[in-house]
Amino acid sequence: MKRFSTLIWLEHRRNWMWSLPLLGSLLFWAWGIKQVTVMDVGERLGIRAGLLAGAIAIGTLVLCIMIGRIRSETRNGQYQVLLMSPPAGYTHITARFTYAVGVGFAYYVAIGFLFWWVFALAGIHFDARSLVDLILAMPLYGMSVGVFPLLAYTLLLMVFVSAYRISGKGWIPGVVMLLGTPVVLQWIGNGMTRILWTLPSWRVFENVPAAVYEQFGQGEGYEFITSASELDYTGLPIEPMLLMLALTVVFLILAGRIWQEVEA
Amino acid sequence: MLAKLEHVTKRYVKNEGLRDLSLDFPAGEVVGVLGLNGSGKSTLLKLLAGLLFPTSGTVTVFDGAPRSKRANIVFLGENDALWPWMTPSDAMKFMSNLYDDFDAARFTGLLDSLKVPLRKTKTMSRGERGRLRLAMALARNAKLYLLDEPLAGIDLISRESILSSIVQEWHTDETILLSTHEVAEAEGLFERAIYLREGRLALDVSAESLREGGKSVVDTFREVLA
Repeated sequence: MKRFSTLIWLEHRRNWMWSLPLLGSLLFWAWGIKQVTVMDVGERLGIRAGLLAGAIAIGTLVLCIMIGRIRSETRNGQYQVLLMSPPAGYTHITARFTYAVGVGFAYYVAIGFLFWWVFALAGIHFDARSLVDLILAMPLYGMSVGVFPLLAYTLLLMVFVSAYRISGKGWIPGVVMLLGTPVVLQWIGNGMTRILWTLPSWRVFENVPAAVYEQFGQGEGYEFITSASELDYTGLPIEPMLLMLALTVVFLILAGRIWQEVEA
Repeated sequence: MLAKLEHVTKRYVKNEGLRDLSLDFPAGEVVGVLGLNGSGKSTLLKLLAGLLFPTSGTVTVFDGAPRSKRANIVFLGENDALWPWMTPSDAMKFMSNLYDDFDAARFTGLLDSLKVPLRKTKTMSRGERGRLRLAMALARNAKLYLLDEPLAGIDLISRESILSSIVQEWHTDETILLSTHEVAEAEGLFERAIYLREGRLALDVSAESLREGGKSVVDTFREVLA
């Protein structure tokens, strides 16, 4: 445990230059939200929600860059120090992943608060349970489905590149891996569609304010829905979350195993 | 035998690091690994550290694969591989929490004797960083020390304090492999000298037998490798 906490400390010392600006950028997004002053309430809400969606994407990109800076460490020789240290590759990989997930969770919880504020500005007020769903459940769900596997994949890719040197003849496995990724993603997507809704759903936002449906629930084909009570509540499918968590674990195990093969 | 190489060849993408090298390293020796640039010195030390894997042949350290024995091996690479934010106090935290054999009191003593400033490495000179890295390495109670060019790019005074620290901290049951271009300065340290030329073993000889023959390690370096 002492070794793991030391590696987390090391991650923090190495990465605070990335993590603090990321958290600090929330002030920028809050400022950006206030700058949206179009008259129509629905349009204003849409633009602000779009801004926050951009913040989510940029945050994920920063986390991926933060976690994947293995090549520069290899060049500077710091990776050599880590490879020679007693903790197993799995411990190193888990420490990197845990730190990035911790920073990411703090970031997305804060984004959840910003969403709550954006809704409040539009006159949509959440009860306590819906607020918890918004600031805790949604970040957890979103990270499990999107961010966790992406971070784990970034780690796997970078360790793979370091281990098998994507240069000279070594570029072949790299190209195979890159070309294979969309195929695998498609295959996962198809598999997910087949098993969707086979398990009980995660019933978040059961008490979501009626005003949300009035504002957003009238998309194409759903014009007849004018209130929450008319909507057949389904919740969030749990299968993508379980599948992506399993995939994350597989990526992390593979990255930890490949760590043992890395030369420096 | 503490460490052993049997018919080891290491090929890189475009060149060959070592070719068919067989060596034994018993406990309690200070070995000079000598050769010109590109002769395979770093490759040899990295193979023993488990940072490289042989293309053919076998490398064993403490009767196992080097990577699996890394907790018992000290490797000081030629790269200036410390994080720029790291202070000696951070280095102590890092080492004492990761390595069971790290002696914090010994580290503090080495910082004093090597005159390492207590500030971030990014504000240290190359020599100061080199001395800090050596203090981190020598403060461990390992049995195998692999020191790759610890004197490279370091001023004369620092080189002397590094060499005297190596002598002071060496215990008779420990094996040190030291690669250096400063052959004359380090000569007094060596009990055995391994001369490498273009990845092959040119000569493996005890320093004592050289001296008995009226030769020094430096003379032999010129004779064998020139």
